[in-house]
Amino acid sequence: MKFIIEHVSKSYEKKEVLRDISFTFEEGKIYGLLGRNGAGKTTLFNCINRDVKADGGEFFLETDAGRRGLMADDIGYVLSTPTVPEFLTGREFLKFFIDINEKTIGRVRPLDEYFGFMGIAPEDRDKLLKDYSHGMKNKMQMLVNIIARPNILLLDEPLTSLDVVVAEEMKGLLRSLKQNRITIFSTHILDLALDLCDEIILLNHGGLEVVEKSHLDGREFREKIIAALREQA
Amino acid sequence: MKKTLILSFSLKITYRVNGILYSLKQIPLVKKLLPGELYGMHWLKIVASVLSVIWEVASVFLGKFLYLLLMVFLPCLLYDGLPGQEVFLHILLFLTVIGGFANTTLFNPTKDKYYAIILMRMDAREYTLVNYGYSILKVVIGFLPCSLLFGLLGGVPVWLCLLLPFSVAGYKLSYVSYTLWDYERRGNVYNENKLDKFQWLGIALLLLAAYGLPAFGLVLPMGIPAVLALLSILLGAAGIPRIYRFGEYKEVCRTLLSDTMSQMDASSRSVRTVKQANEKKISADVSITSKKSGFEYLNELFVRRHRKILWKSAERISYVCAALTVGALLALYLKPQLRPMANKLVMTCLPYFAFILYAINRGTSFTQALFMNCDHSLLTYSFYKRPGFVLKLFRIRLREIMKINAVPALILGFGLALVLFVSGGTDQPVNYVVLVVSMVCMSLFFSVHYLTIYYLLQPYTVGTELKGGTYKLVSIATYMVCYFLMQLRMPTLVFGGMTIVFCVLYSVVACILVYKLAPKTFRLRMG
Repeated sequence: MKFIIEHVSKSYEKKEVLRDISFTFEEGKIYGLLGRNGAGKTTLFNCINRDVKADGGEFFLETDAGRRGLMADDIGYVLSTPTVPEFLTGREFLKFFIDINEKTIGRVRPLDEYFGFMGIAPEDRDKLLKDYSHGMKNKMQMLVNIIARPNILLLDEPLTSLDVVVAEEMKGLLRSLKQNRITIFSTHILDLALDLCDEIILLNHGGLEVVEKSHLDGREFREKIIAALREQA
Repeated sequence: MKKTLILSFSLKITYRVNGILYSLKQIPLVKKLLPGELYGMHWLKIVASVLSVIWEVASVFLGKFLYLLLMVFLPCLLYDGLPGQEVFLHILLFLTVIGGFANTTLFNPTKDKYYAIILMRMDAREYTLVNYGYSILKVVIGFLPCSLLFGLLGGVPVWLCLLLPFSVAGYKLSYVSYTLWDYERRGNVYNENKLDKFQWLGIALLLLAAYGLPAFGLVLPMGIPAVLALLSILLGAAGIPRIYRFGEYKEVCRTLLSDTMSQMDASSRSVRTVKQANEKKISADVSITSKKSGFEYLNELFVRRHRKILWKSAERISYVCAALTVGALLALYLKPQLRPMANKLVMTCLPYFAFILYAINRGTSFTQALFMNCDHSLLTYSFYKRPGFVLKLFRIRLREIMKINAVPALILGFGLALVLFVSGGTDQPVNYVVLVVSMVCMSLFFSVHYLTIYYLLQPYTVGTELKGGTYKLVSIATYMVCYFLMQLRMPTLVFGGMTIVFCVLYSVVACILVYKLAPKTFRLRMG
């Protein structure tokens, strides 16, 4: 499976944020998306998720069966500020989600099994989501996004505001989930990107480019990334 | 001093100008014509600044002119048979006392102060003194020609007309110096936008004294306001040194502004407060559950956990409508002479009820709650945006809001029909049916209307702000149409019939539009 972006562009008034982007993402990899503040990482995600209409270009998914347009179900999108419906309890949210996605989920396990998998304590499962902590909301959002088993998982700065333990759990989780899907992960933290991601891509002058690791060691690779990012200013 | 005045002035003009430009950019068609670098355009800024300065000067006189004309001079003409100059001074005296504590300028937490003192870190004492001095000067200069004009027209002696502006300033200065003294003593910061109930009661009593007493032929003899005017000038003058010497303006301003700060900061803080305010509306009752599944499950939990804001007010309105109906019936029963009039009213004033139903319909609060506590988060999940699901939920929600709006409408409809019956009935019994059906149709219209524009124009941003320009325009247009209908007098049968046809047609068209367009338009607004 491949996720293909073809000639996508997006401007706000006169500012060109995405400039004729074409890129191919491959299955089974975690991509680290780096870019300076305001480089357009969130805009790119929003365009992929159809929250914002791109000015031009297209998104495809290429499978063994051939090439087709991207559909809403293909995408899971985890935002940096977790958004969950505050008036539901964790269990109710999960039940609702599974109810309406029965067909795509396939084999449904008992709800408590999912909570256990995410490390959400039994006493929290029946609390209203508005009373969940930031980290717990994040886990809920992640849980709902992975149950649906989307082909593409977009993560916008997902670990920055989590405590060390939860962040470490999430990292493990993302690694375990990377098979059979494309994970794109935007972050400002270089160490995190180097630690977790298989490929580093830069959003640079409105375009995407891969930073080739080839034979470089850790330090050289890091310097190459910083130099490339600095160029943008 | 001069520098502070110029700085605070240019700050005020800058944000006023930017405010004007910003609101221009919110209007749908106009925003396309405006260039992106609008805020950087030099000549535009100069034009807007000149306009601002002209406005500043004009407002000095215009405000006082309108105030004296509408609040004092014209009311004077209502009291026949009383000496004009005494009524004039009587009303002005009580209003001035109210203004003395409710309009101090110094204790008004304004944006100007917030920007200058908190954000720009200007010297609080100097800023306050300069601006306060300027505002007192504006009072005196603005009042002088107006008090001469209206005072002389009202028969007040010239010397008193000349004193009045200074006396108005005197009341304000005395109260401010007293309040500063009170702060030094007890540490209480007075906020004129947050009056307590005693102050409100005081305002009510003073207003009553100003306009009520003359109605009973009671006015203060001219001597009292005249002496008080002199006294207030002396007191005010005596207060000036205290105001000047007061050393804790920084603390006073910070406390004063701290409450209002959160609302002014357009950044995350206000988003958080909006969010928290909405989360408070969610019922914490753990016994609320649902046996349904899928979207019906989501909807039932939503409605039951938001019962307080969705159903409670509809219930309250229903009770009021029912009580009014009973009251009207009772009145018609006790006073048969009212019946012909009531009968005529019911037969012609149905258009009036379009506005009443507009005012009591729960459409806006329903969609707002939907967005803030439900769609705001769920729209970030792609499954929620599948066309089939969007429409399914639209149907469920339409049913829900129709139920909520229909209850008061039914009561009003039956109430009107009953009033018609008791007040002498009608030759055409179809009128009864039209009354009830058209009421229900109107409530149906408002339900469909608000939900449709919510789905088609989704006006809220991720930050839970209301940004959609078209949405705002449609809301204003709705209001205007309903307001216009209120002025209309038409036979119930004609208007009712037209309403029923229109509402049904509108609902059909709106639903078709939603089915065609909502899957594309029902999205989160980014930024």
